[in-house]
Amino acid sequence: MKTLTRQGPMTPLLALRRRLPASRMLGLCLLVGLMLFGWGVPLLGGADPYAQDLMHTLEAPGALHPLGTDHLGRSLLARTAEAVRLSLGLAFLSVASAVTIGLVLGVAAGWRRGWGDRLLGALADCVLALPGLLLVLMLAAIAPGSFWTLYLGISLVLWVEVFRLVRSVTQGLMASPQVQASRLLGFGRVYLFRRHLWPALRPQVMTLAAFGAATAILAVSSLGFVSIGLRPPTAELGLMMTELFPYYQEAPWALAQPVLALFLMVLGFILLAGEEPK
Amino acid sequence: MGRAILSLLGQRLVQAGLVAWVVGSLTYLLTRALPGDMSFRIAAGRYGYEQVNAEAAAAVQQELGLDQSPLAAYLQWLMDLASFDLGRSLVSGETVVQELSHQLGHSLSLALTAVVMALVLGLPLGLASGLRPGRWLDRVSLALALGLRSLPPFVVGIALVVLFSLTLHWLPAAGHGSLSHLWLPSLALGLGLAAVSSRVARNAMADVAGSDYYAFSRLKGLTGWQTLRRHGLRNLSVPVVAFLGVQLVYLIEGVVVIESLFAWPGIGHALVHAVVARDVPMIQGTALVLGLGFVLLNTLVDIATLLLDPRRRLA
Amino acid sequence: MSTMMTVKELCVTTAGDAPEVLLEPISFALKAGEPLTLIGQTGSGKSLLAQALMGNLPGSLEVSGEVWVDQQDVLSLPLSERRRWWGRRLAMLPQEPWSALDPIMAIGEQIGEGHRLVGGLTTVEAEQATRRDLAHLGLEDSYARLPMQMSGGMAQRAAFAAARTGNAPIVIADEPTKGLDRGRRDEVVALLREALGSHGALLTITHDFEVARQLGGKVMILRKGRCLEQGDADSVLSQPTSGYGRELMEAQPERWPEATAAPTDPQRKQAAIERSAPTLSCTPPPGAVLSASALGKSRGGRVLFKDLNLAFRRGDIVGVSGPSGSGKSSLGDVLLGLVAPDEGELWRDPSVQPSRFLKLYQDPPAAFAPYWTMGTLIDDVCRLHRLDSARIAPMLERLGLAPALLDRRPGEMSGGELQRFSILRALLLDPVFLFADEPTSRLDPVTQRETVALLVELAKERDCALLLVSHDEALVTKSCDRIVSL
Repeated sequence: MKTLTRQGPMTPLLALRRRLPASRMLGLCLLVGLMLFGWGVPLLGGADPYAQDLMHTLEAPGALHPLGTDHLGRSLLARTAEAVRLSLGLAFLSVASAVTIGLVLGVAAGWRRGWGDRLLGALADCVLALPGLLLVLMLAAIAPGSFWTLYLGISLVLWVEVFRLVRSVTQGLMASPQVQASRLLGFGRVYLFRRHLWPALRPQVMTLAAFGAATAILAVSSLGFVSIGLRPPTAELGLMMTELFPYYQEAPWALAQPVLALFLMVLGFILLAGEEPK
Repeated sequence: MGRAILSLLGQRLVQAGLVAWVVGSLTYLLTRALPGDMSFRIAAGRYGYEQVNAEAAAAVQQELGLDQSPLAAYLQWLMDLASFDLGRSLVSGETVVQELSHQLGHSLSLALTAVVMALVLGLPLGLASGLRPGRWLDRVSLALALGLRSLPPFVVGIALVVLFSLTLHWLPAAGHGSLSHLWLPSLALGLGLAAVSSRVARNAMADVAGSDYYAFSRLKGLTGWQTLRRHGLRNLSVPVVAFLGVQLVYLIEGVVVIESLFAWPGIGHALVHAVVARDVPMIQGTALVLGLGFVLLNTLVDIATLLLDPRRRLA
Repeated sequence: MSTMMTVKELCVTTAGDAPEVLLEPISFALKAGEPLTLIGQTGSGKSLLAQALMGNLPGSLEVSGEVWVDQQDVLSLPLSERRRWWGRRLAMLPQEPWSALDPIMAIGEQIGEGHRLVGGLTTVEAEQATRRDLAHLGLEDSYARLPMQMSGGMAQRAAFAAARTGNAPIVIADEPTKGLDRGRRDEVVALLREALGSHGALLTITHDFEVARQLGGKVMILRKGRCLEQGDADSVLSQPTSGYGRELMEAQPERWPEATAAPTDPQRKQAAIERSAPTLSCTPPPGAVLSASALGKSRGGRVLFKDLNLAFRRGDIVGVSGPSGSGKSSLGDVLLGLVAPDEGELWRDPSVQPSRFLKLYQDPPAAFAPYWTMGTLIDDVCRLHRLDSARIAPMLERLGLAPALLDRRPGEMSGGELQRFSILRALLLDPVFLFADEPTSRLDPVTQRETVALLVELAKERDCALLLVSHDEALVTKSCDRIVSL
């Protein structure tokens, strides 16, 4: 540690490499790769993911369509990239909202017990009463095919886990000698959060966030697969699998693409999460 | 002991009430979110497009309480639910309870087979890995578990269909009725469960085998086998069973998706169909059964942990 | 006296290309009826020795030498053979009874299984034997209890019974009194003596001089894996020849010099003991910074203290002692306002800033945010209170702390260093009242002596009232001017 810091400033990537074990680094690389794919492909100016070409359906990968075409002759490169972008975007958005809300409410509830804490606890129990996917599914039924309903439902399920973790860690720390000592020395709330709470919460919340992202991606694709989530012609991984499954015999590589993309995305997040959440 | 069980049952009863309230409220919102011509469409779905008329549509409207004030309708909706009146399916016209009673058995047999498969596959693998952490078996089972966890059950299902039905032609891809139909869906569901439970069992075994009391038992003079039997299995069963509760979420969610993939006529399949067909009473009924089943299974897990872990009975 | 075990040149090293010696070659003989006690600090290789003798060292370590028992060299036997000796010829008492006992099995079961599976008794006989054991240990009611329902002393006695069901003649006890207060410690020592009888052999490993003295027999003093001296307990313990042996001896609180300002006459000291002084008026005594009148606190339906009147002037050194659970720490927390009293009144000099009433903690690492370097944490205090950071360097020197330690995190230094940093952090704020809650109970005896001496000295030097809480009565008697016993 010492010797390295003396060699001058570390690049951020190198610093990250030193902090994360190999498997988590691999997860991070997978995700960065998928992000480059998802957001990079449209920048390169490929085909429109929605443009049908019924003369060229189920074409094998070739010069014009690097990843082939689907049963309606749409470019699979464009569609898979679009689907990856959609899944990652939705995952990032809902995880960010869930972590923000869970963190703020969890710290508030754990800091000082009282009616606010009990109220939030009851709300969390309500959400947890049903398996998460069931809740998202019922919300999706109210406003079918809406991206924002999915976002809302998934965030609603995810914030509870963050909230419960943060609350229990905060409760434990607020009763600990280290916080008591700092309070006696006259330190205020901001200091207690910055020096005592956040360093303890950060790794656990990050792990939970990575698992949450995996959950979000799995939920969206599951709902798409059973035709309750996003609607055609949207390029969504689960939906693409439903559409391409009947053509498995003719075009196995077509079905393989959304399957592989989904697998790599979820694997990336699970690897990034590191150890099992408690 | 008695008090611990009572308080636990009380808590789970409250959860069951919450499930009913959440499901009831969401389905109520669903009735209100139906677009204006929904009653026509539902009536058409029920009676066929030729027979549909204003009268039939009005009947549907009344059935869903669309003609009342929102609050009155909401209370009416919850009252019906509280008196176990789940109404009739808007699609088949049968009572929801009747439909559910047909489907429940199918779902249970699928879920039960999946759990048994998961335990048979996952537990021995986990225990063997946990006794020798870091060895090749542990590494291989970790890689397998990681791979399986990265695939949702329906993708596992697709892979199984492609392999066993489309390529090898050993087993039917979809349908029900014979034992051969049960294999693929329950395996699709069971593999994911096995992946998680093998890791839970592995970690529990490694923790127990590395504990002071495990070492002390050997030092007292008990043999390895006696120690495993008397101090190992009992102690590791506590976290393994407790984690079953967490896996129930996976099981219930998996049932919904897997039944749809394999056209398995259970509750999950019915739920998906009902959502697509906007059959509100059926949505409520199926979601309620899945939610309450979740609560019931959790209760059983709780009671099992209470029986296994005397520390819980003291608290 | 027959020799039960002969150890020749036993040595433990790390495995690998560049082995590091953890326990230097050691030789001794264990005789029937004569206890042998090894004394040394934590990290002196003591526990490795116990494991090496049993033959259950972790695979990452290598052992050489000979251990002869019954004309056989234990170390040359394969592991499976050695395991057959466990419980039958060699018994080992655990260090931490709570974690050595199965958390979900009743105590009676855990002892009975040994009688049945190791001792070869029938189920009925095993239960009878277990009940006899428990009755003998004063644990009649504990047959159906779980370890978590027992106190540390009870758990240690139960673990003792469980370890001895195979009637092994040779007993190895590794820190058997760790974490026990004086009364419980003496009980365990009595049990060890009894187990020895006239035919058994006993090897005890401890850091506590008093345990060695009570056991008698032979004593060896170890430091950093090396044997410094050995001989009869009486002579070694009263007149150690090695420098370290003397240091250890002098570190026993009983042998500490009396605090300078304390009344040296035992009778005057006795008079200074406050139990329930005559009720003070509500107005605080002149010169006091903190005073309490008619203070009372109960916990779990038990009265911890009642009608307690206390006043602290600057520079007062007040000690509180009593067995664990007697409310010593609660008293300090009440005085600091961290816990509300059930009754009575508390007065603090309103002209003194609240941050000048401070506390030192029992577990030094727990009192710091573990993620930041000590320098950062100390800087934080300076910045908050606008202190001159030039004050830090001389204080480091005064406390014997190397400035390089400022770059380390709390987890990267020793308990003694950390506790001195806690003192430094408190002294930066010029405290008028300092509550030291068992500040040295997690430290080894030599460090304990240094730390307490420094703390008392600094409190007097800086004119700060000190409330020193310890379960060790000798420690507070020697260091404090006044004593409150609960």
